[in-house]
Amino acid sequence: MSHPGKLIVIEGPDHVGRTLHARLLSARLKANGIATHTIGLARSELMGVLVKSHTADIHQLNWRTRSLLYATDLHDQIMHEAAPLLNAGFVVIADRYTLTPMIREQVRGGDGKWITSLYSNVPTPDAMVILHAGPRRLLNRIMFGERLEALNHFEAGMDLALSTSITSSFLQYQRMLRQAFQSEGQKAGATLIPTRLTVERVHDKIWESVRPVVAEMLQPIGDSNP
Amino acid sequence: MGKKGILIAVEGMDGSGKSTQAKLLYHWLRAKGLPVYHTEWNSSKIVKEATKIGKNSRRLLPITFHLIHAADFADRWARQIEPVLEIGGIVICDRYKYTAMARDGSRDVPSEVIEATYAFAREPDLTLYFDVPVDVSFDRIARGRPKLKFYEAGMDMNWTSDPFESYRIFQGKVSEIYSGLVDRGRITRLDAQGTVAEVQSRVREVFEANIDLSSVEVIDQSDRLAQNLSESDIDWLTYSGGGEGQ
Repeated sequence: MSHPGKLIVIEGPDHVGRTLHARLLSARLKANGIATHTIGLARSELMGVLVKSHTADIHQLNWRTRSLLYATDLHDQIMHEAAPLLNAGFVVIADRYTLTPMIREQVRGGDGKWITSLYSNVPTPDAMVILHAGPRRLLNRIMFGERLEALNHFEAGMDLALSTSITSSFLQYQRMLRQAFQSEGQKAGATLIPTRLTVERVHDKIWESVRPVVAEMLQPIGDSNP
Repeated sequence: MGKKGILIAVEGMDGSGKSTQAKLLYHWLRAKGLPVYHTEWNSSKIVKEATKIGKNSRRLLPITFHLIHAADFADRWARQIEPVLEIGGIVICDRYKYTAMARDGSRDVPSEVIEATYAFAREPDLTLYFDVPVDVSFDRIARGRPKLKFYEAGMDMNWTSDPFESYRIFQGKVSEIYSGLVDRGRITRLDAQGTVAEVQSRVREVFEANIDLSSVEVIDQSDRLAQNLSESDIDWLTYSGGGEGQ
């Protein structure tokens, strides 16, 4: 699957800053003359509304069914958006790609190999970064940064019955996710970036990984090199 | 632990008569007092909704068509098929993974992709392929129908602009894939031409030759009665059961 565009994947758990950094990366690329497009989980025209409006129902489904629905969602975005844009020379930023839907089921006992096989024909990322943060840091961001009620049942992994306390469950669940992201990310050759740094420092680290991939496409803003 | 339960699948083209026969098989086994469950392709509630959106907007492409139908199957597998098998019951699937092989394969989804997606669905103990000539099934479906549905006719593949012509091309491909599965011994061919009764006696013959029911426990009559009772009512006017109330 050769194409003139580039696929950049940003992975990581909720509240780690993925979406913010996808937006900053997109803005920087655009400022340097590169057309971008962002895709993500549950954003397809086919499945997006259904997945979002039936969140609770979807959590009740069997892991295979859920994996297939997420695979359908991502394939819809790939076939209708990402693939044609990559062919046109866009940089496509995936705010989560195939790793999250796999890891989320794997920590719940799902067969990671089978889930990965559902994505056997998707475009290979040209660069992949995984943002990570300690569970307590993520918890603080939710509880003291935004709204307390943002800490929800599923994000806290309450369905895993790790603990009756939502905060303790959240911490344990995020620890499992972080380990999985690190080991799977290493296997996939991803760059792991801690987000305890400032927004600018994290962005710079992401840019370090992305820049070599898009180097030939960059057009300077002013006189200096981007 | 060995595999439990008995899994029966029926396959064939639209209009081959397989659904009629599958239901007769179900009623026959039920009449014998056996624990039997019948399930149909593409019938899971939540997935149906998504499929409807995709079909109406004509947004489904071969790969998403493949995945969304697999989601439907996986839902029914987890909710209906696997639990019944686990307690040693009989499941009759009106269409099984071979339908995906035939339909998605006709849409050029590679067979190894289809096999990998359905890797969790074990080979049934018996898969009856209701074989009728393409012309016969075509006539049964096309006759008296003003038009065919977009995906049903395979119009998404742009083989031709005429839905009936497209349907014929599609069914030709489907039939070819089924024949390949018969040749490789994955499914059992059954001559589906003739009257419903004729075909049913063939079905029973093949079933009895291939399936050993001795391990299946007959449902206790009181369970059957309890099931009936839960749906029944008592006529209080003539009720003379115990107690002194009126």
